[in-house]
Amino acid sequence: MASTQRIEVRVNETTYVREVEPRLTLADFLRHELHLGGTHVGCEHGICGACTVLIDGHSARACLTLAVQANGSEVSTVESLRDRDTGALHPIQQAFVDGHGLQCGFCTPGFMMTTLELLRDIPEPSDEQIKEALGGNLCRCTGYQSILESVRLAAQRMKSNAPA
Amino acid sequence: MAIEIPTLPEQMPNDAPRYVGKAVNRVEDPALVSGTVQFIDNLSLPGMLHCAILRSPHPHARILSINVVAARAAEGVAAVLTGEDVRRWTNPCFTAPEGWGNYCMAVDKVRFVGEPVVAIAASSRYLAEDALELVEIEYELLAPVATPEQAMAHGAPVIFEERGTNVMLSRTYTWGEVDRVFAEADRVVSRRFRWNRVGANPTETFGCICQWDLADNSLTCHGSYQTPRFMAIGRAASLNLPANRIRIVTHPQGGGFGGKGGPRGTDIAALLSRKAQGRPVKYIEDRMEYLLAGGGQSWDRHYDAALAVKADGSVTGFRVRLVDDQGAGAEGYGTISAAKPLAAFTGNYRIEAAGYDLTLVATSRAPTYPYRGYGPPPHNLVLESLMDCTARELGIDPAELRRRNYIRPEQFPYTVPSGNEYDSGDYEAVLDRVLELADYKALRARQADARAQGRLVGIGVVNTVEPGVFDWNAYATVGVPGVGVPEGVKVAVDLFGNVTVAVGFNLQGQGQFTVAAQVAADYFGIEMAQVRIANTPSDVALPHFGQGGSRLGVAVTGATLGACEKLRATLCKVAAHVMQAPEDAVALRNGRLHRIDAPEHSMSLAEIAGLMLSRTDLLPAGVEPCPEATYVWVSPNRNAPDDQGRCRSYLTAANATHIALIEIDRDTGRTHILDYAIVDDCGTRLNPANVEGQLQGGVAQGVGAALYEEYVYDADCQPLVSTFVDYLIPTIHEVPMTRKDHIVTPSPVTPLGAKGCGEGAIHTTPATLLCAINDALAPLGKELLETPASPHRLWKLLREHDTAA
Repeated sequence: MASTQRIEVRVNETTYVREVEPRLTLADFLRHELHLGGTHVGCEHGICGACTVLIDGHSARACLTLAVQANGSEVSTVESLRDRDTGALHPIQQAFVDGHGLQCGFCTPGFMMTTLELLRDIPEPSDEQIKEALGGNLCRCTGYQSILESVRLAAQRMKSNAPA
Repeated sequence: MAIEIPTLPEQMPNDAPRYVGKAVNRVEDPALVSGTVQFIDNLSLPGMLHCAILRSPHPHARILSINVVAARAAEGVAAVLTGEDVRRWTNPCFTAPEGWGNYCMAVDKVRFVGEPVVAIAASSRYLAEDALELVEIEYELLAPVATPEQAMAHGAPVIFEERGTNVMLSRTYTWGEVDRVFAEADRVVSRRFRWNRVGANPTETFGCICQWDLADNSLTCHGSYQTPRFMAIGRAASLNLPANRIRIVTHPQGGGFGGKGGPRGTDIAALLSRKAQGRPVKYIEDRMEYLLAGGGQSWDRHYDAALAVKADGSVTGFRVRLVDDQGAGAEGYGTISAAKPLAAFTGNYRIEAAGYDLTLVATSRAPTYPYRGYGPPPHNLVLESLMDCTARELGIDPAELRRRNYIRPEQFPYTVPSGNEYDSGDYEAVLDRVLELADYKALRARQADARAQGRLVGIGVVNTVEPGVFDWNAYATVGVPGVGVPEGVKVAVDLFGNVTVAVGFNLQGQGQFTVAAQVAADYFGIEMAQVRIANTPSDVALPHFGQGGSRLGVAVTGATLGACEKLRATLCKVAAHVMQAPEDAVALRNGRLHRIDAPEHSMSLAEIAGLMLSRTDLLPAGVEPCPEATYVWVSPNRNAPDDQGRCRSYLTAANATHIALIEIDRDTGRTHILDYAIVDDCGTRLNPANVEGQLQGGVAQGVGAALYEEYVYDADCQPLVSTFVDYLIPTIHEVPMTRKDHIVTPSPVTPLGAKGCGEGAIHTTPATLLCAINDALAPLGKELLETPASPHRLWKLLREHDTAA
């Protein structure tokens, strides 16, 4: 049995303590240890961005991060987006639905987590800023136009919902 | 009883359809954005093992020995599979043409880099991969066959020894008086083209979980299957199981585009389960496996083609010689994509005669698979590039040359020389609209200004016909027999008036669940939220095919409407009985069953269904307590091909014209897309947002094929592409945000008048971009007739020009 290491990670506001092998990726930890299957794995070498999560608020590739590296961190995945109490979709999720910003939906969690970071840092992004932020996420279905429109829509709605 | 399927939305029993024709939100999406959809790798079964595969590092080698003793003893390993097991228990896969199939793992020799040689099932994927490192294999290297020229050369190494040749198929099709039209031409415009390998690369790779029930001698496979029933039949043939003991459960898929693969991985996982006493075995292909030798390589083509042209610009003949490098075997049915162009060989034009000299060759590259478009993207690139060459030679504007040659609206239905019948269209209306949308005159003025400054700016105006709703008969001449591709659904009304449409396929991205829900809701006049679409496993589903050949939007509409029509007849009969009216005196309209002579007397769907299910004492004699109906839709009026492959194959002929304005950076060779406009006509747009998504997604894949994507092999057939760092999928920075508009010419032969629309853009975009690039290069007297027109290729061409100058 390979050696294991104890880690404590807070994921979507729940604390998990686990013994893991040092080689276990964060993506596999989230998906197969914690059963948070929304973080999808498209390439496992850091290019496609499907596995994008936020670690301490910063977007990161869960496939290139080891679970042990997340020790002591706060991780947010797509499962954190819906309202815990009402189940309502997050404005970003609703904007992707309304804007037809997805087809197969496999890359979508990564796009939405990247968008979450973008709109937190830049609430009114220009198209160029949106493209810059999403340039590291591959989508093979939509051709990106509806994704761009969905992000614009999300920004607009989140701004109008924001407290004055 | 003949079922009449509405051919226009207004023929449904509803005064004001609320969903069909509208860009309604998709029923698929709330779960997809929540991350709760059960893609295959999200499923785990009790006792499940994980498979890892050791693949050949050599393009061609004999296997002298395999030692798995240490691997079998490694931690967590439950089963090891080699070619010996595979030879004992299975058959090579069926192919078209027959006899070019491999086993699911190499037996005796390897034929391409990435071919599976040993597979291991262990308690985790990590441990399975650890154990692979303990496997020892001795190879005797054989000479690879790197190119079609080498493959066809006298004395070449033979990849399939039992075949005695590397040529899978070689034949010539002659449609009309080709020799005469070329002899009588005022001008023959000919070029050679090279289309390098590209492929699907869905964001999710293939995956499956297979469980072989040793007591029942049956197999259950969960997986990301595009065509479940087809997959079940194939597994029966390869694994020697009765077809009714195979259950394929297809899960939502993270894209497919034809290139998901699946048979090899499924058979390997199934055999590992058999060796592991029936424990379920999961196999998730990783991206490097996919890129090396998954289902993602397509269209490796060498073209020599010519147009016969009259002085006035009328094109009378089209001749194509294609040598298609299929790689090491026909397991992926890449072969039949060479036959699809027969469905629209001469494009939008009244070309009277055509010839196709087709040679399919095996080499030591990975076997080729389908990819969205399935053949026409390279074919259209050839035809449309030749049209542009002709326009340049004659000094005619390329849009005008095309216009002169169009099939005219009054000529439909129009039979093309290669045999297919186009249902409808108005090509000139599409062209006029896109010229206006793009402001073509202004683009040409912009180009003239740029050229005056020495910039390389070009315009592509390209039109294509998209054969939609495929039929097997299109592929008969390369070895796929059959006419008709059934798609079946069951429509059921429950006690409370909710409707379930049970289908045989699962989500892949195109939104067909939504289309079925739109159609069923409008037919019965209920809320879309009251309709649920349910997937059924292959062993109990009705005959079906699923996604493929731009068919499913049309096919599922036809199947749903057919079942609705059958159900309506039953519901009306019951309603008439309980309302004490004559049988033909009750009609369904706007969601209620009412007496035609006294519409104030009516019953709801829930009342009738509830009565049928819970008050059988009130049912008329002979009516079953079953408010459900099935219907299996198939394209009408298809026929078997003649000896030249001619038949009515693809049911619909959508069309589109794209206009691109591009600039080539003289210093880097990079092509920048400055403007892009699309006008298409795919008949009735069942969900315009779905259609636009299909168009834009096809543009993105077309951009990749035209400018960036390529499976590169070296001279020894070693793949040089194994990651997304080498295989360049376009990002948001490379794909143009396009301007789009449309014309609607409803199909006279399909449900609600819709035409297949999933592939039109990838049919058109590569040609549009290459034509624009060659328009930009024209002042230099240079042409690039190879894809992708990568920055490197263009840079080399520009350096050649600068050096010569």
